[in-house]
Amino acid sequence: MSSPRARATLVKDAPRATDAQLMQELAAGQLGALGELYDRYQAPLHRFIARVTRDAHDVDDLLHATFLAAVKCAERYDGRSSCRPWLIGIAATLIRRRRKTFARFVTMLSAFGNAQQRVNDPRPALQARSDVERALAKLSEPKRLALLMAEVEGLSCAEISEALGVPIGTIWTRLHAARRELRQTLVLEPDGEASA
Amino acid sequence: MKTSCPRLFEVEAMRDGRLTGAEVTRFHAHVGLCSTCAREVRAVEALAAALQAPERAGGLPADSDELSVRRRRTRLLAAFDATLLPAPRQAFARLTPILAATLGTLCILIGLAFAIMHRRSLATAIPAAASNAPDPVRVRADGPAQWSRQVDNQLEKIRLEAGTLAIRVDHARSAPRLLVLLPDGELEDIGTAFTVSVDAGRTSRVTVQEGKVVLHLGGKPALALSAGAIWTPDPAPALVSAITSAGPNPPLAPSAGSDATSTAPPRSKTAPGLRTAAAFPPPPSGSAEVTSGPDPAADFRAALAALSAGDQTRAAARFSAFLADHPRDPRAEDAAYLRVIALQRSGDALTTQAAARDYLRRYPHGFRRAEVTPLAE
Repeated sequence: MSSPRARATLVKDAPRATDAQLMQELAAGQLGALGELYDRYQAPLHRFIARVTRDAHDVDDLLHATFLAAVKCAERYDGRSSCRPWLIGIAATLIRRRRKTFARFVTMLSAFGNAQQRVNDPRPALQARSDVERALAKLSEPKRLALLMAEVEGLSCAEISEALGVPIGTIWTRLHAARRELRQTLVLEPDGEASA
Repeated sequence: MKTSCPRLFEVEAMRDGRLTGAEVTRFHAHVGLCSTCAREVRAVEALAAALQAPERAGGLPADSDELSVRRRRTRLLAAFDATLLPAPRQAFARLTPILAATLGTLCILIGLAFAIMHRRSLATAIPAAASNAPDPVRVRADGPAQWSRQVDNQLEKIRLEAGTLAIRVDHARSAPRLLVLLPDGELEDIGTAFTVSVDAGRTSRVTVQEGKVVLHLGGKPALALSAGAIWTPDPAPALVSAITSAGPNPPLAPSAGSDATSTAPPRSKTAPGLRTAAAFPPPPSGSAEVTSGPDPAADFRAALAALSAGDQTRAAARFSAFLADHPRDPRAEDAAYLRVIALQRSGDALTTQAAARDYLRRYPHGFRRAEVTPLAE
């Protein structure tokens, strides 16, 4: 009979399941797989969503919805070693859908009220903590989304195009415009330090 | 010194994966020689590094703490658990629209079936109701009679071969035009109640209780008979008696007859060419005794003559004798009624009441019932 210390050692030394294995378990409905995936990717996903949406209220909901959507389509996971880009793609899809819904709502409000008055986004914006974040906040959400997916999350333009449902040429255009606008705002040092 | 390079755009093209393998190799060689492109590459990479800086820092997001993460995790797992547990409910929820649609369709079908059945029942009920509706033409055979009835395109024909028919037509119920075909002519109804008799292949009598009829007999002009008129084809002048009221001295109606032999001038209500009953020769006077012979027409004519002459007692007696001798004669009902009238004129209330009751007993649905009933009470 093994002692608790020995069992702890065994558990600690047990190899971690790969993302592909976790996705298979998730597709089988295992609750533990979802918890493991959440522990691995909630922070980068939370950060990605927060940087794209700039909305404190939406981040938690979008993060929650992203993992639940991942559960539903876990069977269609392509088996790549890391599911982070895949989760980012799901989050980007949800962000884009939410933005369209919100745009329709704003349009309806504008039409209902004074069409000349611009309806301000009532959602509380996250405070930018650096010059890069402030410059990033000035970009439109589609440009910001494409730039973060490409430069931070490492998705290819083809993957971004597929996730967002827009032509790849549009993604190239958005990336070029986003870089140009950011560089106009920031003075970047070669090591990545920025100064306004 | 060159400030720009025509291949500067390839910096972002290479980063975004727009260049193929050979193009990438050539552009790398170009970057080694072109300071402008090299500076652009460094700028783009610096931008990417600046964007990745928070990611490289790792840890929890700046606006999140460990407690919030645990709460979100718990909420997510609970939501995931909820998606697994209520499978039957989800299945039921998926079935709910189907069930609702099925129930709706079923209700519509039941409604249609009910409507169709109700319509059929109406369709069957309407003819049934129509068949139950009273016939606007009521024909009653008084004794043995040979007759037939035929409706032909809003024209109802009643063929009378022999016997007596009492006919009442209710024109308020959209009755068809009525024609009584007689062996020697025809009788056309113009909204009335009348009695017609045929004896030995000849029209023997027409009595009009209400309204008017037109009598067409072969070789004779049409004869219009109004309410109260009695027509007989005797060689003697035809008699038409009108009794328009049940008062103490009701006037006699005009009589019809083309061969009038009256010696008395017609009354004011008598139409030209017609005689009144008063013009008939009075019966033997001073005699209340009544002798009735085998000829009912003669008996009736004699009684009517007495009535017209104002001899009420004798008229009542003759009508009583007529009823006794010829109870099944078509004129029996008229005799019973006229006896009541004669007695009423004579002032004998008790006898009048008895005669009226006798009339109602003999003819509970008689044509003069409405007039006799007050006298019987």
